[in-house]
Amino acid sequence: MKNVFKAMVAACALMTALPATAEAKLKIGAAVYGLNAEFMQIWAAALKNHPAVKSGLVDVTVFDGKYDALTQQDQFNTMITQGYDAIIFVPIDVEAGAAAVQAAHDAGIPVFGSNTRVNSKLLTSYVGSDDVKSGYMEAKYVLDKIGCKGNVVVIEGPIGQSAQIQRLEGNKKALAECPNVKVLEDKTANWSRAEAQTLMENWLTAHPGEINGVIGQNDEMALGAIEAIKGAKLDVKSFAIAGIDGVTDALLAVKAGNMASILQDGAAQAQGALDLAIASKMPDYKPMSDIWKQYPDMPWADGKAAEYSVPWTPVTAENVDALLALRK
Amino acid sequence: MTEALLEVRGLRKSFGGVAALRDGRFRLEPGSVHALCGGNGAGKSTFLTIVMGIQQRDAGTILRNGKEVSFVGPSEALAAGISIIEQELNPVPAMSVAENIFLGREPLARFGRINFASMNAAAQALLDSLRFQIKATTPMMDLTVAEVQLVEIAKALSYDAEVIIMDEPTSALGEAEADQLFAAIKTLKDRGKGIVYVSHRLSEIFNIADSYTVFRDGQFVGDGKIADVRREDLIQMIVGRPLAEEFVKENQPGAEVVLSVRGLNAQHGVRDISFDIHRGEILAFYGLMGSGRSEIFERLFGLTPDLGGEIRLDGQSIRLSSPAEAIARGFAFVTEDRKGSGLVLAADVRANVCMASLGALSMGLAMNTRREASAAQAMIEKFGIKTASDRLEVSGLSGGNQQKVVLGKWFLTQPRVLLLDEPTRGVDVGAKREIYRVMSDFAREGGVVILVSSEIDEVLGMADRVIVLRGGQVSGEIDRTGLSAEKLVHLAA
Amino acid sequence: MIQSKPVASRSASDLAAAYGRKYGILIALIVVCVFLTFANEYFLTGRNLLNVLRQTSINGILAIGMTFVILTRGIDLSVGSVVALAGVVSASLATSSVNAMVPGGPYPTVVAFGVGILVGMACGAISGWVVSRFNVPAFVATLGMLSAARGMTLLYAGGKPVPELTDEYRWIGTADVLGIPMPVVAFAVIFLVAFWVLSATRFGRHVYAVGGNPHAAKVSGISISRIRLLVYVISGGLAGFSGMLLAARTGSALTQAGIAYELDAIAAVVIGGTSLGGGIGKVTGTVIGALLIGVMNNGLDLMGVESYYQQVIKGALIVAAVMLDQARHREA
Repeated sequence: MKNVFKAMVAACALMTALPATAEAKLKIGAAVYGLNAEFMQIWAAALKNHPAVKSGLVDVTVFDGKYDALTQQDQFNTMITQGYDAIIFVPIDVEAGAAAVQAAHDAGIPVFGSNTRVNSKLLTSYVGSDDVKSGYMEAKYVLDKIGCKGNVVVIEGPIGQSAQIQRLEGNKKALAECPNVKVLEDKTANWSRAEAQTLMENWLTAHPGEINGVIGQNDEMALGAIEAIKGAKLDVKSFAIAGIDGVTDALLAVKAGNMASILQDGAAQAQGALDLAIASKMPDYKPMSDIWKQYPDMPWADGKAAEYSVPWTPVTAENVDALLALRK
Repeated sequence: MTEALLEVRGLRKSFGGVAALRDGRFRLEPGSVHALCGGNGAGKSTFLTIVMGIQQRDAGTILRNGKEVSFVGPSEALAAGISIIEQELNPVPAMSVAENIFLGREPLARFGRINFASMNAAAQALLDSLRFQIKATTPMMDLTVAEVQLVEIAKALSYDAEVIIMDEPTSALGEAEADQLFAAIKTLKDRGKGIVYVSHRLSEIFNIADSYTVFRDGQFVGDGKIADVRREDLIQMIVGRPLAEEFVKENQPGAEVVLSVRGLNAQHGVRDISFDIHRGEILAFYGLMGSGRSEIFERLFGLTPDLGGEIRLDGQSIRLSSPAEAIARGFAFVTEDRKGSGLVLAADVRANVCMASLGALSMGLAMNTRREASAAQAMIEKFGIKTASDRLEVSGLSGGNQQKVVLGKWFLTQPRVLLLDEPTRGVDVGAKREIYRVMSDFAREGGVVILVSSEIDEVLGMADRVIVLRGGQVSGEIDRTGLSAEKLVHLAA
Repeated sequence: MIQSKPVASRSASDLAAAYGRKYGILIALIVVCVFLTFANEYFLTGRNLLNVLRQTSINGILAIGMTFVILTRGIDLSVGSVVALAGVVSASLATSSVNAMVPGGPYPTVVAFGVGILVGMACGAISGWVVSRFNVPAFVATLGMLSAARGMTLLYAGGKPVPELTDEYRWIGTADVLGIPMPVVAFAVIFLVAFWVLSATRFGRHVYAVGGNPHAAKVSGISISRIRLLVYVISGGLAGFSGMLLAARTGSALTQAGIAYELDAIAAVVIGGTSLGGGIGKVTGTVIGALLIGVMNNGLDLMGVESYYQQVIKGALIVAAVMLDQARHREA
């Protein structure tokens, strides 16, 4: 309700303040699952820094879903009532949100997926990164570093979430290529650094001197494992550790040589989706974001493709400083 | 002899090898009030819980209308027409009188809807037939304690109860309210019901009971008609030894004014109270419930805000804005509600005794455990508190011993002014006398006692002077020489 | 109505039952430890036991603060959020990262610690003031703080973690003293102080009196509003300290830290035999309760049991502990 109210106030203010331009401007809403964590903040900041927003071509409103599928659905209804021109959607989970997309579709508003897929055929288009691929990449890094033999542990995300399912699929694909590697333990730490730290402390006790590699399905959990290793007075560099996402702490850990991370380019996912949303309303629109130049592997295709896959960027000693500089 | 409503023979019950009741005997005639007497621990409670089916007997016979019965659980006793009105009542406060009476067996209309119209009508008819001035639709929380009791009686009758047990029914009532209850009991009697009446208050027993049974130390001691027994003899049966005097009064008021109060106001409309108390004097406040007795105590002890008036101690004007300040000035307050505001039931004897003197028993932040222990021991000895150790929870003590713990707590603060609000409520005859002895000794040593009591006998027996209150104001003052029950009642009503 | 049983009359089985109720949690802890010793060769190793203690320390410290509050018939639902707020604020003073947006940092570690504890105490003081001054139920007042402190955390940090903590700051989470990890040392010191405060000081007596019967405490000259305020300040201060321990241990202060920590803290207190009705309970019980939770989590990890079982077992344990508490009451 509060968000409805806020949106109404904002809409009223907009109409009275800018009577002439308001009609010409495109109104685009972004419904994201939650703004508490760093990743979605980078995503939201990139959306607001899109050249089309800065030049005044479109107005963008970001709705915080507060990690609740129902809240997101309510926000969709708000946007439909308010007559938004297009919606960018980052659902809390693949399976949650099909109904919201359906409602927007029935109202004639195109919906563009970003970052997380939604299990609906009605998405106009989706910009994201393939989690199976990242799972494969991080596991591959760990396995390569230990020479395709030895023992690893896998720290998983919350069981049943799409990112966990797909990253695990990628992990398994890489593990299948190294039949001599044994998975000693795999368990969830719910994306949490503190939980992963406890888990790793206990595993180091249960398998003294046996663990060679740690596959963390996100950076936070990989960082927790690093702290556990440090706490046990072991040499972090003698372990092969990898995570996914490229959060700031992980970049620092990569710089220190303690782990590998696969950067998910949230900024590109956000800006790409916005370009697609504008193009659907302005037929002669040319994408304004730099990302299309940055990723030649992801062609614009006149904004008509059903799926755009933003490539993953392995964070290396070479590019880490440049990536860190972007965060400041 | 007519057939008894309830007859009990040779009832026996032990807990873990110790007999709580050895030979429980009892016979209740229709249309009579039968008093069950005995000190704390006499076995009355055990007796009642067995009759109500809450506990099972080890041996003995219970006859209901001449037929042997055995109840498992209170609902079976209720079905057999035996109902109890407990000392502590448990109504559902937000529900109406009618809803409380028919709780759990509401008359239903179609679709499972409660038929409020017929329920209210039935409840009102019942209340009217008993001549209780209560509206069935009033919320329970708007009733006085006495009215709640009347509702409980109505409820018992709505179950067609023939035997109604009342456990200390007047302990929370004032004089006028008690009269209301006694009138109700007479109505029940006229209808042929039998009432088992449990009370420590002998004057009540002599007022309303027809016969009595005395238990002592788990043993049947004797029974008979009230008309055939003298008060002293009954006391002796209850206590087990002859009591020289019911009251102990050896103090002599001096001339020197210790505490002087002028124009004191207090909560709930208490206005313009003025009095002086002299060294070694026992002053009593007498009045009905709601006459402002407790409010004056609460104001003197700093529990309620200053609403005007002057208090002088030894001629010096003082402000009493918190209990801590009152304690520091030498005031001690034995509250009316022992369990509600006198004791921490889950805490041990030592903690309770030391609770108001923690500052004196500590060094800096830390407690001096040795001094706490010796202080507790001193009070246990001074008051003869019957407890195996000062580390036992007070919830396990009898009412009289609990009251002594409260007194011990206050004597440890070395008070000069003792405020006693109903100090002998729920206390057996033996312990009562010990409490009177403490009051008398305290005054004899120069202390000042202010007593509030609903028992006229106690006021007559102990007070040097009585101030009668009515509607929050002083309605009269009587010296010991001119004291009589008639005057007190006349001034109070 | 029912007379209590005379003390002297207890038969042997009664006595055994009474001891079972009194020492039930300790016995449960010993049984679990013995079982784990046989079930897993690594359980009874010095390093693993230190791990258990280290993993228990944060919940244990929160539970000690919670014990004070619950003893006065209160509850503090805000500790998890206060952990995050104090952690983020204090860490922002002890980092070289510009993410923190605090000019002039890093400040000396002592300043960062002091500010963190003060932030926790301030949160507790607000809750305690609302509870004691306005008679708002503790459940409501601290539920409000749970939400408000989390919001302030996100506002303060802009949703970002505070990374790159100085080594001096991390010392408290990662260092050893004579082979004992610092969080464990802190836990032990806090336990000893709390034990002393509750069992041997005037303030401790006041806490039990206020929880046992606030009316009687008031009449006995104890300022119940002062005691109520102070227990929330203690709980808040310890939550603040825990927040810094957590940040120091994990290497950066996260805005999502401490979510649902209040539930584990309450669980430890309840399992440890403190009555939610107030006035009854000991901080030793709380520590044993926290250890029992810690040992079970550790043991199930060592044995490779799925973590969801841990939640089920913990739930059963909480309910069992309260059933025990009720049995104790019925006896009294």
